[in-house]
Amino acid sequence: MRWWCSAQSIAWDWTWRPYVGVWILIVLMAAGYLLLSRADRTDPDSGANHGRGWLFWLALFLLWAALDWPLGALGGGYLASAHMLHFLLVGLVAPLLLELGLPTSAFARLARRPILLRVLRFLTNPLMALAIFNAVLVITHHPRVVDGWMATQLGSFGIDALWFTAGVVFWWPVVCPVPARPRFPDLARMGYLFGNTIIAGFLALILVFADLPVYGIYELAPPTGWLSSREDQQIAGMLMKVGGALILWTVMSVIFFRWYRRENPESQVAGPPPSHAGVQG
Amino acid sequence: MRRAVRGALALVVAVGAWGCGAGSAETEDGRSERQSRAAPSALTGTEMPAAGAAADFILTDTHGRSYDFLQETRGSVAMLFFGFTNCPDVCPVHMANLAAVLDQLPSRISRQVTVVFVTVDPQRDSPARVREWLDKFDRDFVGLIGDPERVRAIQLDLGLPPAVVQRDDAGDPNIGHAAHVMVFSRERDRRWVYPFGTRQSDWARDIPLLVEAAPPARPEES
Repeated sequence: MRWWCSAQSIAWDWTWRPYVGVWILIVLMAAGYLLLSRADRTDPDSGANHGRGWLFWLALFLLWAALDWPLGALGGGYLASAHMLHFLLVGLVAPLLLELGLPTSAFARLARRPILLRVLRFLTNPLMALAIFNAVLVITHHPRVVDGWMATQLGSFGIDALWFTAGVVFWWPVVCPVPARPRFPDLARMGYLFGNTIIAGFLALILVFADLPVYGIYELAPPTGWLSSREDQQIAGMLMKVGGALILWTVMSVIFFRWYRRENPESQVAGPPPSHAGVQG
Repeated sequence: MRRAVRGALALVVAVGAWGCGAGSAETEDGRSERQSRAAPSALTGTEMPAAGAAADFILTDTHGRSYDFLQETRGSVAMLFFGFTNCPDVCPVHMANLAAVLDQLPSRISRQVTVVFVTVDPQRDSPARVREWLDKFDRDFVGLIGDPERVRAIQLDLGLPPAVVQRDDAGDPNIGHAAHVMVFSRERDRRWVYPFGTRQSDWARDIPLLVEAAPPARPEES
């Protein structure tokens, strides 16, 4: 039994293969969330907001779906397109939903730890977060890194860990209220999200228009019989371009309409009060 | 704030420098540019002794006709591969990569290349089955079928390890075979082997060199 998905030189089949490391990670994250929620319930002053808890569980489900069989295995060593879907889920969707689903009390606790807060303030400064995410994006999509690292379970785990961490850092200044960023208003946040589409778009174009396969690991993988290596790479590029843009533009739209409603209160229809997400600025 | 801006800039510069370094120090296939400059025409394949470069044998093609390999392929660059159509990995990858590259090369190059596939599993690989399988890659690929002993002798003559057939508990054959593509020069005076792992970028670089004029042998490394 393998603990993490990676490239294997065996023909693809639909035999279920769980990855132990993925299950342990998911169980640990679920246990951590339950402990946090339990502590909140016993502390009436915690100000816990569990209304968005389902987003955390959705994040956990998507993380498991991306990392475990079959998507994890297909992306690990058979299809570049599956690898890209894996990236979108682990590096963009799951971190966003996870941060949105965290209880407010988790951020309140962070605010009481000055050293951690200082580190967070540095790492999640929008410029720094943008640089970190795009640096990870460029490094982990470089052919030598993909071909070298995806060949081993440890390397594949390293890429997933980098994606997830970079995703958490990237979304933090957009959705997390701690540390407060009064100089990062909604319009700046939209610009920040748009800025993140540039390098990813460039990488996607390379994949779509390259004459030859970029990644040896997928070019030389046992064929699944569904796609040629070039078609697979083009789909990967399209996923990166369209899928990534869809996620970012969706969040930009939400921020824009919130900003518009705040700026034009006369057009506002009575609705639920805003939650912790997107309250800063 | 300033510290974060400086950190972000440092990160961007570091990644940029790494990207430029990675791009210039080595080509995609792992060979350094320094090596490429020193021997600009060196091929990815390994040159084999000239003996056997004629590869004179006759088998039956997928239309049931006699196929004289030397006569049919002389004057073109011949790529010979021994495999089987039920192969789950090496055979379809080699065929798909060759087909993809030949499809992209100018026709004046690609029409001077003949890809020949010899089955090492004649029991399951009927002529029709081989034809159908090859057509998925390229209709111009030649498929050959022959008596197992004859095919084995050809592989030995060429210096390739002959295919080994073992049967599992269910009686199904497990076939081990050489994963190399053997390439013959147009004049039949030289030959090279390309192992599994040869990428499309390698073929795209080497095929025009092989067609236009096989480059001089790579100097012996000291």
